[in-house]
Amino acid sequence: MKNLYLPLAMRAEKIVIETEDKNIKTFSLSFLNKEDGSSFNYLPGQFAQLSVLGKGEAPFGIASSPTQPGELEFTVNKVGVVTVALHNLEEGEIIGIRGPLGSCFPIEAFEGKNIVIIGGGFAFTTLHSLIRYILYQENRSRFGNVIVIYGARSPGLLLYKDELKQWEARPDLDLHLTVDKADDGWRGKVGVVPNVIKEVAPSSENAYAIVCGPPIMIKFTLPVLRDLGFLPERIVLSLEMKMKCGIGMCGRCNIGNKYVCKEGPIFTLAHLNELSGEY
Amino acid sequence: MKEMKIAKNEVVSFLDSLIREYKVFAPVKRDSFVVFQEIHSGSEALLDYANSKKPPKEIFFPQSEVMFAYSLHGEGLGIEEPAFEEKPRVIFGIRPCDARSLVILDDIFNSEMYKDVYYIDKREKTLVIATGCNQPNSTCFCTSLGGGPFSRDGSDLLLVDIGQEYVVQAVTEKGEQFLKKHSEFKDVDEHSLSLMRNVIETAGALIKSKVETEEIKEKLDRMFDDPFWDLVHEKCLGCAICTYLCPTCHCFDIADEATDHRGKRIRIWDSCAFPMFTLEASGVNPRPTNKERTRQRIMHKFKYFVDNHGMAACVGCGRCIKECPVNLDIRAVLNSILNR
Amino acid sequence: MPDTSVMIRDTAKKLLDEKRVDLIIGFERGTLPLCSSPCFTRRSEEAERLIWNASCENNLAKYLRRREEKVGIVAKGCDIRSIIGLIKEQQIDREQVFIIGVPCNGMIDRRKIEAKLDGKEILEAEEEDETVILKGRDFTEAIKKEEFLHNSCKTCNHRNPVIYDVLIGDKVEENQGFDEYKEVKEFEAQSADRRWQSFTNEVSKCIRCYACRNACPLCYCQECFVDSSQPQWIGKTTNLSDTSIFHIVRAFHTAGRCVDCGACERACPMGIDIRKLTKKIEKDVKELFHYEAGVSLEDIPPLATFNPDDPQEFIK
Repeated sequence: MKNLYLPLAMRAEKIVIETEDKNIKTFSLSFLNKEDGSSFNYLPGQFAQLSVLGKGEAPFGIASSPTQPGELEFTVNKVGVVTVALHNLEEGEIIGIRGPLGSCFPIEAFEGKNIVIIGGGFAFTTLHSLIRYILYQENRSRFGNVIVIYGARSPGLLLYKDELKQWEARPDLDLHLTVDKADDGWRGKVGVVPNVIKEVAPSSENAYAIVCGPPIMIKFTLPVLRDLGFLPERIVLSLEMKMKCGIGMCGRCNIGNKYVCKEGPIFTLAHLNELSGEY
Repeated sequence: MKEMKIAKNEVVSFLDSLIREYKVFAPVKRDSFVVFQEIHSGSEALLDYANSKKPPKEIFFPQSEVMFAYSLHGEGLGIEEPAFEEKPRVIFGIRPCDARSLVILDDIFNSEMYKDVYYIDKREKTLVIATGCNQPNSTCFCTSLGGGPFSRDGSDLLLVDIGQEYVVQAVTEKGEQFLKKHSEFKDVDEHSLSLMRNVIETAGALIKSKVETEEIKEKLDRMFDDPFWDLVHEKCLGCAICTYLCPTCHCFDIADEATDHRGKRIRIWDSCAFPMFTLEASGVNPRPTNKERTRQRIMHKFKYFVDNHGMAACVGCGRCIKECPVNLDIRAVLNSILNR
Repeated sequence: MPDTSVMIRDTAKKLLDEKRVDLIIGFERGTLPLCSSPCFTRRSEEAERLIWNASCENNLAKYLRRREEKVGIVAKGCDIRSIIGLIKEQQIDREQVFIIGVPCNGMIDRRKIEAKLDGKEILEAEEEDETVILKGRDFTEAIKKEEFLHNSCKTCNHRNPVIYDVLIGDKVEENQGFDEYKEVKEFEAQSADRRWQSFTNEVSKCIRCYACRNACPLCYCQECFVDSSQPQWIGKTTNLSDTSIFHIVRAFHTAGRCVDCGACERACPMGIDIRKLTKKIEKDVKELFHYEAGVSLEDIPPLATFNPDDPQEFIK
């Protein structure tokens, strides 16, 4: 029987600062043992538990896409014991990983549909994985139109800035970036994400909406989507809760009778509406 | 089902012989209360006791358990698992409610999707010998939750005290094989069997405390926002007594303890009653006050667990009732819910 | 003499009817023999549940903090001294609390009785003045209350409320002519090794449920030191070293504040002698600073101030 609590070793190959306040970094990790890499099969939306041995372990959404074999990417916000320890790492240092864990975005259900991806702040990480997966050459034709609406508090806090520029130039993707507060160099939209959604007014016909962001953004986004005609079964959310074991045993991450680490983190709004008011 | 008997005055020597081959856990007197501990001589075992202070879940799921040791070095990460059980184990004298709690814990730690090696290793290597309750306590309400003073759920062998002897029921194949290997167990006569039936029937009627639990889940399905929760938590201190002493509570925390680049990852009991349980690093807490946490405990045990596993995560052992410093009696809470 | 329970009920009903308080915290009958339970009443009819007997052992001052409403509280001598502590630490306003003071002759320790009965379950208990009649499945026994009081009650020298808004019944005689530090002195007289052995034996039973901390009215830190992760002061396992530090540090945090109400010891499910350290620290504070916690609203706790002539033998 496999011991699901043992981490596999990974090396931090590259560490990149994403935001101007330096609180968010993206880590590119490679497995020390190549075999571990080939058996780590994941899909966008899933997460892994990263360990800084001696400090602790925490769950992070996988930011890279399985269409780019070799390295895994995680984007980490510095906020507690484990994330501070991760941020203090230097390139080349070794950490542990357990995963992939949790549910993925319902990619099969998305096939043939139009996809509206809505992200806010640093919750954009697994959406980044999904977008890369969809845009991948061999995958793109499986899906319809793709609209991405992504906002941050200020231009400096947007993630994956270089990649965003590349995406802006693509004809097979409709990207709308927005910030709450612009700076001198900003040429894009200004306004909170829910307002931009109203403006862009993506069609709900034959479409799925995927939403990841801080609770306040979600709170104001859901009514907008409802007004645009998106049914709860067609709105997909990714939830976050404090986790420890990641495998549905330590009891911590339960929302109603579901465990965010096991049945989630991906849920449709219809699923969540069935659960008690806890979320 | 195979039944045999063993004379009470042979139990001590029986345990002594077991100790040579197995790691034997039995109820033992410690200060003024009883705990389950490894015994090194049969005479340490307490045969006549109500129930242990701490539940025997700690024999399968210890309060602190090292998951692995590690060492970090330039070339990689060395992981060393703890030594798994070598000697087979016997837990002797566990009560039917606690044996039943193992069935509940099995559902969690040995689920289809994920398996917990630490628990499963101990569980598979342990033979469970339960002793039925001729005299249940006034705080026992096992019969309200699908159990009973002579319930066989979770045990391999069940002992029924009929005076000078125990009648032994072989509940599982494992139990039956065990009986064959130990000559202290003798064939049982009809007279003893009829005494046994008598004891079992009488004991069931001795459980005075009853709660109509079948309708609880339905009520709870609709009660998440009920103002009931505003008041029920008021006297609760938010300590972990009910959770740590509960045979079915299984929540745990994981912590690393290290010196330089060597260390251990340890899992420790945790409690949903603590405010930090769901506190996220960002400062957000989905269960910020005692109200949400008390609601969570009740909802989890009597609704969510039922939704997922078809049974309540409670065996009616009564420990939480006896030990709660403010007498927050779960039976009273359940009855209030039934009356909503 | 009218029944104390009746007097408390009448007082409570009057206060609620006249809207002089929004809430009364008292005791009601528990679901087990010799057991009562904290009770929160907001309407006159609910006040009918209030009782008073020798099992009213909880320190209800625990429930006073962070309330908007005006609260009436049924409190015995030790509880009131905790309230004084909370007022001085600015955790509650004097005007917000209406103290229903009840003189107390001590509360019964259920565990001592259970130990004497050696496992026989008590099914019924009836109090009659100085005795309690215990009934079990096949026994009836009468015990004298004063032989089974909580340890903190045996050394109590504030049986009467130090302050109150209304006093229920007559004052009782204070405990006289005894040395409240007798056990502490016996402990002090032992060798350091013996003391350490004795202490670690006790705390090795600890299951880190934090009932002691949560039952204490004066443990109210937003983030207790045991929960701190940045920095982490102690580990969370039941490792003896971590557990010992928890108890030692908690005892020190009570220095000059603990009134020895015994709530910690009563809450502990494992029967640990938690007052071993706190009583010693209380004695030290008395000797070093001539201060007793919870007897005056005016004096300043010694660890919240300094005096030029404070003892300083530790400076060599």
